[in-house]
This record gives sequence, structure tokens and C-alpha cells, in this order.
Amino acid sequence: MCGMTRRIILLAGCLLAGFSVRAQLQERNIVIDSVRVTARRVLKDIGTQKSALDTVALRESVTNSLAEVLSQNSPVFIKSYGRATLATASVRGTAPSHTQVTWNGMKLNSPMLGMVDFSMIPSYFIDDANLYYGASSVNVAGGGLGGAVALGTRAADAEGFALRYVQGVSSYTTFDEFLRLSYGKGRWRAATRAYYASSKNDFHYTNYRKKVFDTNQQGNIVGYSYPRERNRNGSFNDLHLLQEFYLNSASGNRWNLAAWYIASRRGVPMLNVDYRDESESRNRQRENTLRVAGGWERSISRLKLAVRAGYSYTDLVYTYAGDAGNGTLTEMIRSESRAHTAFARAEAEYYFTDRLLLMANLSADQSVVSSIDRAAGHTTGDYDKARVEYSGFLSVKYRPAERLGLALSLREERYGYDWTPLVPAAFADYLLSRRGRVVVKASVSRNFRYPTLNDLYFEPGGNDTLRPERGLVCDFGTEFALGGEHRRWSLRGEVSAYDSRISDWIVWLPTFKGFWSPVNVRKVYSYGAEFKGEFSLRAGRDWRLSLRGNYAITHSVNRGDPVNWADEAIGKQLVYIPVYSAACTGRLDWRRWSLVYKWNYYSRRYTTSSNETATRFDVLGAYYMNDVSLERRFAVRWADLSLKFSVNNLFDEEYESVLSRPMAGRNFGFFLEIAPHRK
Amino acid sequence: MSQREMLMSVRSFFRYWMPLLVLALTSCMDYGPAEEEVFDVPRNEPLVFVVCEGNFQYGNASLSLYNPDSRRVENNVFARANGIPLGDVAQSITVRDGKGYVVVNKSGIVFVIDLRSLKITGSIPGLVSPRYIHFVNDAKAYVTDLYAGRIAVVNPGTCRITGYISTGEHKSTERMVAWGDYVFTNCWSYDDCILVIDTRTDTVVGEITVGAQPSSMVLDRNGKLWCTVEGGYGGAGEGTASLVKIDAATRTVERRFDFAVGELPRSLAIDGAGGRLYFINRSVWSMPVDATGLPTDPVLPYRGTLYYTLGVDPVGGELYVADAVDYMQAGVVYRLTPGGETLDSFRCGITPGGFCFVEPEI
Repeated sequence: MCGMTRRIILLAGCLLAGFSVRAQLQERNIVIDSVRVTARRVLKDIGTQKSALDTVALRESVTNSLAEVLSQNSPVFIKSYGRATLATASVRGTAPSHTQVTWNGMKLNSPMLGMVDFSMIPSYFIDDANLYYGASSVNVAGGGLGGAVALGTRAADAEGFALRYVQGVSSYTTFDEFLRLSYGKGRWRAATRAYYASSKNDFHYTNYRKKVFDTNQQGNIVGYSYPRERNRNGSFNDLHLLQEFYLNSASGNRWNLAAWYIASRRGVPMLNVDYRDESESRNRQRENTLRVAGGWERSISRLKLAVRAGYSYTDLVYTYAGDAGNGTLTEMIRSESRAHTAFARAEAEYYFTDRLLLMANLSADQSVVSSIDRAAGHTTGDYDKARVEYSGFLSVKYRPAERLGLALSLREERYGYDWTPLVPAAFADYLLSRRGRVVVKASVSRNFRYPTLNDLYFEPGGNDTLRPERGLVCDFGTEFALGGEHRRWSLRGEVSAYDSRISDWIVWLPTFKGFWSPVNVRKVYSYGAEFKGEFSLRAGRDWRLSLRGNYAITHSVNRGDPVNWADEAIGKQLVYIPVYSAACTGRLDWRRWSLVYKWNYYSRRYTTSSNETATRFDVLGAYYMNDVSLERRFAVRWADLSLKFSVNNLFDEEYESVLSRPMAGRNFGFFLEIAPHRK
Repeated sequence: MSQREMLMSVRSFFRYWMPLLVLALTSCMDYGPAEEEVFDVPRNEPLVFVVCEGNFQYGNASLSLYNPDSRRVENNVFARANGIPLGDVAQSITVRDGKGYVVVNKSGIVFVIDLRSLKITGSIPGLVSPRYIHFVNDAKAYVTDLYAGRIAVVNPGTCRITGYISTGEHKSTERMVAWGDYVFTNCWSYDDCILVIDTRTDTVVGEITVGAQPSSMVLDRNGKLWCTVEGGYGGAGEGTASLVKIDAATRTVERRFDFAVGELPRSLAIDGAGGRLYFINRSVWSMPVDATGLPTDPVLPYRGTLYYTLGVDPVGGELYVADAVDYMQAGVVYRLTPGGETLDSFRCGITPGGFCFVEPEI
């Protein structure tokens, strides 16, 4: 409580300080991270279906993880249980493990689970984020049957010391602190980022999944009410530290090194149908992760060479503790995994001409993992394994005519002693109109994702006879851009359609022995369309309006063989994948004020493979979310300041995003940002 | 775009598109109380409750009600009658004195429902991971627990926990079978014994070592306990699975029927006369209690589907075999003659895990 009081006083003090110097305000530009706008058709991106998350999206709120940014700014569906809980991505109706994620060239996908928890990636820690859809993911990594997300950090632009501090105080005793300290001199750049988020996360909600009964003197039930409960066991503490160094030597060598440490302690919130008290039952998750990635780059005439290497370590512990009869919580289940991964990558790009590019890279990942599960003091399963994974990539990009671009990519992967079949991908684009910059694109690829270490070796149930999952993906799309810098307005749009067929999809199913085991059983046919648009308008000197939206239609249908005659899942939409989803962000700037409105929607989601709709508990209803924030920027003699007030869940919706997981109602946040002027 | 065109665009936006936008933005999510349905279950007909576990951490357990005479099934009856879901992982149901006691494992509660209206009449909270309820008499019942290391003693009249029976180092207790003044309970999870409880003193008075992970248990007409033993801790296959015959009076193992490596008997049930055993070992098998060897021909052969659990109607002797299909959709129950001929099949909830047979009131 003391800490909270201190923070409120600090915030109030800064507010007063800001207002007291208002009279002294001078016109100053606020220093924000640069926004990249690329209009030129890049040879590397021929035919690529790709979305870049710009700095405006990544820096929208200090409370955002990459899960919120992706959900709001891309057609990717994020399945989330609430803040600081597992958030997984489904790109074009595929599974979380079908999205490959890299950070500074290093894979973030767990070698054991194959997926990434996007709630563990603070958006303020990412400077570059590119989302590759379908076939385009082959250019980033193998196994991205849905797509790939390439994340990166970047050196600060300016010389000298720079500091940026953001503090957030939000509902449910939630505090967010972010600090970035950077220094640049000559050819050197260094930056330190720290982010700490903590919360009781104990929001109130009316629990419509329970009833409190009123009884008369005879003990008969005469009425009921729905209890007003708090979110239980949802508290969290997340610490992230990131240290970066960059050096551009006089001889043309560019060096970089980044180290990212995560210490996370999170509760796993109790279901709203759990009648136990927090003192009787508690699930916790603890993660310690260290990632270090460094690289060297050099351009020599038409040749660009790069080498990257890195190491990551993750220690993940899940515990369940219950009252063992003595009134105290005793650990009853413990699941712990450790993963060490070393990676190295060499890449080369050679421009034969400004119309012909050859790219090649070779990477190796060595994972050493151990997993142990214990229940009631007994080891229920454990394994220790090591695996080397290689991936080789070769691509030719060619623009035979000004309007036409063609590309062919090949990728080959080896995991342990097994090879995946060759992964080919072909791309083409054509400039239909210069005036509207109308480009049509098409791509096709055959892709494979090999089984994770848990799939192969988990005890009990691991299946070492699994084959890689196979995908055949076709994309077609068009994009246009009107207006631009020279006009008061700009309009950009993109439409794409895709057809994806995945077979040998790995699914964990129960065995007659009682435990679950993975098998190559499912065939999934995904098809749909995605629409993206951006509009900005500058009216006079003071006004600026921007709108950004996306809409997706995602049919992800089970086309496998029925388990038996009774299987009604064939031909049905996959569980938790919405057919329709949309998001829109509107931003209105007036002088030093900014109003941001965010709207997010996805259609109802089925919770059964047969798409039952018999009761309201079989289906999660359509999701509509509205958030709004108002920001005022100030410039004082020594710093640029910003104050922001945000309202999440503006209409105080009561809802579950995932079955039996209550979500927070209307909640508020105050944010202060301080960026002292550079010395 | 000229300024006039721009102005027109802005006007048309506010005139036509803004109302649509506002409508979209302010749309409400469909969430809130669920409606209640009125049931009046005839009590002069036999009933079969099917406890459907649902999926772990989904909170979608359910209760189905089947009438063997009319062959009608009503699914999700608990949620429909009460307007709230049953909870997370329903484990079992026991019927006594016109009431059903539904044990919901991961919700930590036992719901008491009226068998005619199916409405909640009471609940027993304060449990860690409850599994089964067994009635000692009108004033006393025991509730076993997967993790607690104790058995809760409950007063069914008041739905209050009146005490506990410490099981010491044995954390997991499962099914309960009464023999005289004693109740036997098998310790399944990473344990190897059956505990003996004296119902007069509510204390553990003995234990019988039977082998790794005794999973299900019944009592036959000769006072012999039968128990399926998985034989291993890290999943099946480490040791030999077996069917164990125990004399309840002397508390000693009389006979052990071993299975081949990789086999796993479970879901042991017995007919109403206590003379014939049924169990699942990939196929569904049957054997008399005085058999000297394991059966060689199944009652219901394995047909590429996993039989999840089975129950035997104590009066008619009919078999009810549950098929969970893919565990993510409504399961199927096959109703069979004791010889294995199919009489009926019906859909129930997700992962049907237990049966309870209710005889008609005369």
C-alpha cells in the first residue's frame, strides 16, 4: 500500500509540476521513435504477404504486450486469458505452433512446445516487427504453416544520452514502469531498457456461472443471486531487462549484441466455476529466461554478409498447491522444464544487378532440454534430450521488367537425424498501375513443420514415430496506395485471399492406457480473405486524423478422417477460431492532444470440435471491445512530458474470452512519460 | 481531392457511416445469466445418469439423463435446470433418498440435486479435489479426494463437513466399497494399496498392498473385493497390470490375474447379483467371479474407438459403454445386453465418465 501511495504522490507531483510550468512552455518537438514509411518496391519483398507493425502501434501503451499489438493491428487471432496470462497466436486459422517467431534472427518458439507466449513480449522492447503470412514465412523460417513473426531491436538514432521513462498506474493495483537509457557517440550506440509490471489483477465481476441461494428457516431454497467475486490468483510480477550494444566500425563492419532477461511470476487465475478458496488451491507459473544474440554484418560492393549467434535459456515451472488437510498449502503438482538453445546463422546476399538478388543462409540450433513432472511427490514423467536443427535457405529474386517481380525460394531442414522434404516457395508481383501504386501479388509454397521435443519424447506419451506436418499454401492479393507526403491525405489498402491445406497435423489424443499421446491425424483446410486499410488526413496546421483497420474471414475446417461413425467434427470450424474478426484504430491529433479509439471484434467461437450450439456454454459469443485514451503532451525547459488517461472496456462489457475465464470490466490507467532533453 | 470534395466526404461520413460505426462500436456481448428450464422427471420409470467430465480447465462438465424405457435422453440437464454450468471435470454421481450427489472434481464441490426437478437443493464446498461420495448412513457420508490426504466426513442433511479421516501418507483416495462396518477405498495416484476404514470410529484401521495404482474396485457376492491395478506409475507399461481378488474379511490378496505387457484393465464394474465382472482392456470383457482365468473372448470387441468407461444396470444387467469420440465433442453411450448385443446408443455430453442407475419408485 505504501508503494502505491508513493507512486500516486509521485504521479500527482509530476502532474502539478507539468501544469506549473505551463506558462513557460515553448514550442518544442516531442522526441518519439522514428516511423518508417516505405513506398519503394523492395527486391527482397517480391510477392511477399507481409505486415509491418510500426512504431506508433508498438508504442501505443506501455501495458501492451505483443499479443495486444498483434490483435489490434493485424488479422492474427490472439487467444488470451487476460492480462499476463498465456496468449497464443493463430495465423489464418492454424495452431500456435504453426507461427514461427524470431527475435534478432533467433527462434523464440519453445523447442518443447513449439509455440510462443506473446504475453511475455513487452511491445516497448520491440523496435521492428514484421508479420509474414502463409508462403511468405518461408523467407524467415521453416515450419511457419500459418506464418512468421520477425522481431528485432534497433539502435537509437541520436548521439548523446537519452532517457525515456514511462510510468503507468492502473486499476486493480497495477503498475507499469519502463525505462530506456541510451547513449550514442560516434560509431557506438548502447541502450538499456527495463520494464517492470506488477498487479494484484483482482478485478470484480458478477459471476453468472454460480448462484448464491437464499434459504428459509426450514432450509428450503427460496431465491438466489449471482455472487460478486474477485478474479482469484491472478496476481503477477514481470521483470524484463534488455541491454544492447551497436558498433559501426570505420572499416564498414557493423556489430550488435543484445541480451534480454525475463523474470516472471504469475498466478494462473481460477475458473469462475471453481468453488474453492484461494487459500485451498493455487496455481502459479514461474519463468526465468535469458536470451543473448549478437551479430556482425558487412556490405562489400554488391555483397552483404552477416553472421549471427546466440544463446537462450528458459526455466519454466508450473505448480499446483492445495490444502493437504493441515490448513496450509502444499505443493501437489510440479511441472518443470529447462531448455538451453545455442544458435548460429550465416547469411549472404548478392546483387548481381539491381534487378537480380541471390540470398542464402544457413542456421543451426542446438537444444538441450530436460522436463520433469511430479505429482504428490512422485515423478510422473521426465525426459532429457538434445537435438540439433539445421535450416538452409536459398532464394533468387528477379525483376525482369519494371512492373514484374519473380522469386523462388528453397528451404531444407534437418531435425536430429531426420530431414524434412524440400520446402519450395514461389512468389510473383506485378505493378498494375503506377498512379495508385496498385500491385498484385501471388505466392505458393509447400511447407513442413517437424515435431517438437515434447511431441517426440514427453513421458508418458511421446511418440517418436511422428512425421512432420505438411502444408500447401497459396496466396493471392493486391495492394494500393493513394495520396502521400505531398498531399494532405493518404490511403492505403490491401486485400488478400489464401488457401491452405495442412495434413498430418499433430494432435494429442488419449490412449487406451490412460495418458495422452500425439499422432499425425488431422487434415485442416483453411481458406479466407484479409483486408487491411489505412487512411490519414491532415486538416490545417493543427488537426490530423488517422484510421487503421483490418478485417479477416477465416474458415479453418477439419477435413480429417472421422475417429469413428459418431465423429461429428468433420467439416466443422476448429475450436476457438473465429470465422470473422476485425479491428480498427482511430487517432485524432489536435495540437498537443491525441485521442485514440480502439475497437476490436471477433465472431462467436465454438468450444467443441463438433461446433455444438445447444447451450450458451458451448459457444463463446461475439466479442466487441472498445478502448479509448486521451493524451496531452507538454514541453518544459528540461524535458518533454506526456500525460495519458486510458479507459479500457469502455462500455463495461461482462464477458469471457475463453470458457470459464472471467474478464475485467471497465478499467482505467494513468500514464506519465518523461523524456529529458538530450545533453 | 478538392476541399469541396473533402467536405462532402466528411459530411457523408457523419451522415451515413457514423451511425453504422456507432452501432458497431456499442454492440453488446451476449453474456449473462442463463435461463432455467423446468423439469419434472417421472420417478416411476428407471433412469440412468451419465456424468460427463467435460474438458479439464474448460468448466464444461455436464449431466445427461437417459430413460431406458422410452430411450429418450436429455443432455446438459444440470445447466438447463439450474442456469449455471456443472463445473470443471465432473467425477461421479451417487443417488440416495431422492437426491443426486454430483461430485465435481476440479470445482471442489459436491452438488446436491432433486431427482425430480433436477434443481440444486444444497452443496458441499470446502473440498480440495473430490472424487466419490459414499453413504455410511443417513447422517454420515464420506468424500474421497485425489490430493488432500484425508477423507471428508459429511452430514448429508446439513451439507456440512463434520470431520476428516486422515489417510496419512496416502494422498489419493478413490472409490469406496462397504463391507459390514468397514469401507474399503483404493489409493490410486502413485500409490499401491487399499485402505480399510472403520465406519464406527471414522479411522483407518488397515491397508492392503495390491500393486501400483489400483484404479477401480467392486465387491462381489462372496465378500471378495476385486480391483484393477495399473502396474506402473509413469503411465502404464512399467509393471504388469492385473486384476486382483481380495478377501474382505481377512484383508489378504487371494488371487492375481496378470495381463500381458502393454495391456491395461480399468473401469471395473459388477452386475447387480455380484456374480459377473466387467472391465475395459481396449475391448470390453466379462468374467464370472469364480473364474480361474481371464476371459479369452470380449463382450464388445475393440472397433477402433476408445471405450472410456462402463457401467452395469444392477437390475436389468444391461451394459452401458461410453465412447468419448475425440474428447472435444459430445460423447456416445452404447447400451448393450449382458452378452454384448447392441440395444441402443445415444449422445451425451463431453467425455462421459460415469453412470448412475436409479430404480423407479414404486
